[in-house]
Amino acid sequence: MLIKLAFRNIFRNLRRTLITLSALAIALLLMILFDSYYSGLDLATFKKLIDYETAHLKFYSQGYKEDIDNLPIEKSFDPATVLSVLRADPLVKSATPRISFRSTLSNGIYQLPMVGLAVDPDQDQTVFTMKQSVIEGEYLVGTEEAVVLGYEVAKDFKAGIGDTLTVLCRTKYSTFQALDLPVKGIIRSDDVAIDLNSIIITLGAAQQALDLGKGVTEVDVRLKDIDQIPAFKKKYAGCFPGLELWDWKQVAEDVIAHSESHAMSKNITFACIVIIALIGISNTILIAAFERMREIGMLAAMGMKRRQIVGLFILEGTIIGTVGSAIGCFLGFLLVTFWTTRFGFDLSFAMKSWGNVGFRNLIFLGAWNIELILQAFIFGVVVSALSSIYPAIVASRMQPTEALRK
Amino acid sequence: MSVVKMENTVKNYRVGKMEVPAIRGINLSIEKGDFAAIAGPSGSGKTTMLNLFGCLDKPSGGKVFIEEHDVISLNPDQLAEVRNQHIGFIFQSFNLIPVLTAFENVEFPLILLKKDGPRVRRKKVMDMLASVGIADLYNRLPSEMSGGQQQRVAIARALVKNPDYVLADEPTANIDTKTGHEILDLMLAMNQKLQTTFIFSTHDPKVMEHARRLIKVRDGQIESDVNQAGI
Repeated sequence: MLIKLAFRNIFRNLRRTLITLSALAIALLLMILFDSYYSGLDLATFKKLIDYETAHLKFYSQGYKEDIDNLPIEKSFDPATVLSVLRADPLVKSATPRISFRSTLSNGIYQLPMVGLAVDPDQDQTVFTMKQSVIEGEYLVGTEEAVVLGYEVAKDFKAGIGDTLTVLCRTKYSTFQALDLPVKGIIRSDDVAIDLNSIIITLGAAQQALDLGKGVTEVDVRLKDIDQIPAFKKKYAGCFPGLELWDWKQVAEDVIAHSESHAMSKNITFACIVIIALIGISNTILIAAFERMREIGMLAAMGMKRRQIVGLFILEGTIIGTVGSAIGCFLGFLLVTFWTTRFGFDLSFAMKSWGNVGFRNLIFLGAWNIELILQAFIFGVVVSALSSIYPAIVASRMQPTEALRK
Repeated sequence: MSVVKMENTVKNYRVGKMEVPAIRGINLSIEKGDFAAIAGPSGSGKTTMLNLFGCLDKPSGGKVFIEEHDVISLNPDQLAEVRNQHIGFIFQSFNLIPVLTAFENVEFPLILLKKDGPRVRRKKVMDMLASVGIADLYNRLPSEMSGGQQQRVAIARALVKNPDYVLADEPTANIDTKTGHEILDLMLAMNQKLQTTFIFSTHDPKVMEHARRLIKVRDGQIESDVNQAGI
């Protein structure tokens, strides 16, 4: 009977109930959309990092990571043992060596500093997606002496396929080296950093030019299952003397920290939205309590105990919360399923004011997070019930004689 | 045997910094089966007496006994329990729950009582609605009934749990004279049929005529207490 009574009571003032319901539903809907957007942005960022820069894991020489801003090629190592072990490991999809080095690119008229990437073209494409990003010319093969340029680099140098550019670098022994290399391909990746200031040459050419012998600065690993990273790290901790193992989150700690700050601002936004909605619920129940004072007096006169009156009003708030949360979550579910994860958020309009945000593609697909939708529903219901406690207590504390006189 | 009794009962209300006496040392015993009217002008203390009899309020001094138990020491939940089990209420403005049908309004006190299952409750409610002459209106909301019909529902609601006594605060004040007489006749009939004690307040002389016992109060004291059964 209490449930029946509570249910009918919330429809007494239908307009007010609908406004309150809508406030909660819109709050949860926005929460779900924001989460989809932020999670989608994170996923896109992480995917870009893994596909172009970090892979799942990296082996560096001891101390290399602390000095990574200087790209110290003297901290190179022979990858043969590591690669042979990793390629036989069932956890590993593939592994590839790389050299990152400081360089300057010149066309004889002007020159610009670049990040040089030396790759094993055959192996690299099994870990990274650089080859798939070639938009002009071809990707490197074997140990050939040629260069692939980032799209923006090619634009800056007005270089085309077959043009020759000079790559200036320092060897392991700090002597200068100059390589005249034909442009073989131009890549346009999702990673603007690569397009803006990267040149790619073959590992063989780099090892010879930098006097590294068989040395590389890193071995990049892609696992069959990204969730196996902890198991992999445990397995190879201290396995190769002189080498350190880092996962992609450690390598990209700046990006992760940025993402966490996103998460915090997201949570603050959620809290603000939800607080506004809950003040609405609390207010609705409080007004209902004052409007029904005489009725509360009568219920008390009939022998309804204080806790039953509290229960009745909390039940009313909970029903409003449940219906509002269900509507908000259902609409959120529909929008995430049929809009954000299919068509995404087009942020190209923001590019003009934000400038370079690190992405080539400014349409982000939202992420689908059923866990958050369920959490939002439970959260909406629980907090609605909690926000009804104060008005319920106000109602239950009314003296029957006072209430009956109203 | 008294169902409810006051002994030297005093009730004061605080108005600002002033203590205003509402009733001053009343001694009164209501016997089982009484059909008693408490009559008097506005401010004489009628409603205060009903509130004390109804355990809706506590006295400032003296005692109130329900079936020989002093209720002054009971906490709010215990008082609610006493109201639930022993007392029926009829209000001047009916005070039915507007979102419940006549049937549900009458069933409500039985649900609070938690004694009967749904079938027994249904029978009791329908029998009581039939007794007050509105069985056919069981599915109507209060807004779909006249004042007299609503007051009949209120009487059924007060009586359905078979209370020791029913308190009615000016039960005919909000209905026309003819319907008022019908309501009083109904209350009297139920009093005779069920042997339920009725205590009601009024300031209407015509209503007073219906009472078998007429207790007149003035300035918070009993002015007269007359048995009119033989009159």
